[in-house]
Amino acid sequence: MDYKKVSKDKFGDFIAMLGKQKKLYAPQKEGESLKFMPVAAGSQPVLAFPNTTVPPKSVLFPQTETLYRFEQGNTDISLPGEAEEGVLLGVRPCDARAMAIVDSLFSWDVDDPYYLERREKTTLLGLSCLEPGTNCFCSSMGGGPASTEGLDMLLTDLGEAFLLQTLTEKGEKINLSVQELLEEAAEEDVKFAEKLSREAAARITRGINADGIPEKLPEIWESPLWKDFSESCLGCGICTFLCPTCHCFDIQDEMEGFEGRRCRMWDSCMFSEYTLHASGHNPRPSRRERTRNRVNHKYSYFVKNFGKIACVGCGRCINLCPVNIDILDILSQVVKEAI
Amino acid sequence: MVDLEKLKNVARETVSRDDVKYLIGWRQGTYGFRVSPHFVKEPDEAEKLIFSPLCTNNLATYLVLTERLPLLRGEQPDSRKVALMVKGCDSRAVVQQLIEQGINRESVFIIGCPCEGVIDLKKVEEKFSNQPGPVQARWSNGKIVFHLPDGDKEVPKGEVLAAKCLSCRYPNPVITDLMLWEEVQTRGSDEYEDVKELEAKSPQERWLFWEDKFSSCIRCYSCRNVCPMCYCEDCVLDRLNPAWVFRSNNISENTAFQLARAFHLAGRCIECGECERVCPVGIPLTKLNRKLAKEVKEKYEYIPGLDPESKPLQSSYRPDDKEDFIL
Repeated sequence: MDYKKVSKDKFGDFIAMLGKQKKLYAPQKEGESLKFMPVAAGSQPVLAFPNTTVPPKSVLFPQTETLYRFEQGNTDISLPGEAEEGVLLGVRPCDARAMAIVDSLFSWDVDDPYYLERREKTTLLGLSCLEPGTNCFCSSMGGGPASTEGLDMLLTDLGEAFLLQTLTEKGEKINLSVQELLEEAAEEDVKFAEKLSREAAARITRGINADGIPEKLPEIWESPLWKDFSESCLGCGICTFLCPTCHCFDIQDEMEGFEGRRCRMWDSCMFSEYTLHASGHNPRPSRRERTRNRVNHKYSYFVKNFGKIACVGCGRCINLCPVNIDILDILSQVVKEAI
Repeated sequence: MVDLEKLKNVARETVSRDDVKYLIGWRQGTYGFRVSPHFVKEPDEAEKLIFSPLCTNNLATYLVLTERLPLLRGEQPDSRKVALMVKGCDSRAVVQQLIEQGINRESVFIIGCPCEGVIDLKKVEEKFSNQPGPVQARWSNGKIVFHLPDGDKEVPKGEVLAAKCLSCRYPNPVITDLMLWEEVQTRGSDEYEDVKELEAKSPQERWLFWEDKFSSCIRCYSCRNVCPMCYCEDCVLDRLNPAWVFRSNNISENTAFQLARAFHLAGRCIECGECERVCPVGIPLTKLNRKLAKEVKEKYEYIPGLDPESKPLQSSYRPDDKEDFIL
C-alpha cells in the first residue's frame, strides 16, 4: 500500500490542482441539499458532514440522462458526446461500496455503455467517516468507516493533514499529478488513521446481523408484517431516490416541437405506476406489495443475482423517511418472524 | 392537559365498535425525536398511542391515501369508519376534504386533540443532536420537556416549535365527534410576515431564491403524497400522454411541477406544513402555499377548512367578489 500525506494548508491547492486536470465534483450545498456538484474555481467543497443528502450516484448515474436526440421525420439519431474524465472528492466509504454493487448490475447481461464509460473515466477519492451518523449501520453490511471497496484513493482527516491511501492505478495517477503537494506518510500517521477509524466504528450503535435474511425473505412472503410496515407509507420516492444502490430508471421520449430526446430518469418501485401495465392491471397494486418488493430486492433478489446485498447501511432511508419506516426495524422483524 | 390514559381508553372503545375499521394515531418512533403513524385495529394495540409535541404528522392524509383495490367477485366494500386523531390544523384538512366531498362525514370518526404546538424536528436535532434511542417529550407550563438519556431538558416553546405553531390560529380541532380534553388557548395571529418578506423583494431576487430551491428538488413527490389535499386519483404529474410535465429533472420541469401543485392548492391548502416537513432537500414550500393563501384571503375573504357546510372557493361566486385584479 502506498501512503502519502497532504497538509491542510496545501489542501486548497490540492483541490485546485485536481480541478485543472479533470472535472472535479465535491459535496456542495444547493438549497438545503448537500450533493456532489462541479467545483467552480474558488468555491470550497463541504467536507464536514455525516453524509451527503444525495448520494454520489447522481454523478455516475444522473437523475436525468439523454440517451440520444432525434428529429421528427428523420431516422438519424445523435448520440451524446464522450463522457468527461472526472474526479469525485469526499465520497463516503459506504457510497463507494454502493457503486461497486451497482457496477455488477450495469455490467450484467447487457453492458450499459453510458454508466460504464462514466464509471471508467471517473476517479473516486473517498473520505473516511470519522463521525458516523445516528442511523449508520455500514458495519452490519460488510463495510466500515474506512472501507476501501469501490474507491481509488482514501483520504483520512488526521487533524493537521489528510492521509492519502492510494488503492488503484487511477488513484496512482491522481497521486502523481499532485505529487509536489504531497509528503511521505510516517508509520505513526497510518497507525493514527487506523485508530481513528476503529474509534469511529465503535461509535456505530445501530445494526443487524444480516445472516440468513436473504434466505428467509421468500419464506415470509405472505407475512402480515408487510401490511403493517406499509400502512403508514406515503408511497413517495425518498427512500429509493436517495438510496446509493437503487438504480431503477424509466425511459421517456421528450418532444419539444419537432425535436426530441430519448432520455432516462430515476424511477422508484415505491411509485404506483412503476409496475402499471398498459392493460390497467397492476401486479403490485398497493403499498404492501411495493414495500415488500423494495426489501426483497435489496436483501434477497439482488443477493440471488449477484451474491451481495444491495444495501450499504448509509442510513439515508431511515434518516429521511417522513413517517419513520425504519429498515432496521423491518429487518429485525424479518429475523423474528416465524416461518 | 394531555390525558394519555383517556386517549388510550377512548381508542380501545373506538376500535371495539363494529362500525370502525381502525383508528389512526401516533406512536413513538424507532429512534430520536421521530414519531410514526400508528394504525390501531385491536384494543391492545392502543397501548402504544401517544400525544406529545413530537406528533407532527397530519394523519388526515391517510383518509385519502388509502388504496381502494378492485373488489373480488362477490366481495362487499368495507364501509366501516376510520377513526382519526386530529390536532387543530389536521382537523382543517378533514373539513376541507368534506367541503370538496373527497370523503363522507359518515366514513370518519374524528377524535380531537387540542394541541399546544409541535416541534420542528430540524430545530430539535440541531439543539440536542440526533439520538439513537427514542426520546419522549411533553408539554409543561408553556415549555417543552425532552426526556433525554442524560436527564430531562426543559426548553421554551419558541426555540423548538414549528413555525406554523408559533402563529397558530386553530390549536383546537374545528370538527370532532369527541374532544379528548379541554381546549387550549389560541396562541397567535397570523399576518403572513414570511410572505410579505418575500413579496418585498424584486422579481429577480425572488426568482433567484426559488431557482436555487427548485434546482435541488429530486421529484420524489413526498410533498404531493403527504398532502391531505392532494388526492386526485389520476395526478397530472403521472400523465404520460400527454405529458403535461416532463419527468426530466431540470429547473424548468421542477418549477412547472412545483407551481402546478401550488396553484392546485390555492384556496384549499390548510397550511399544516407537512409538504415542507417531509421534503428531503428542505424546499420551503410553505412560503409558496402561504403566498396563495394570503392572496385568497385578501381577494375573497376566504379561509379554507373551517366550515364543512361551505362551498369550495373555486365553485363559489359572490356578486361582490373583487374584480380589480382581473386583467
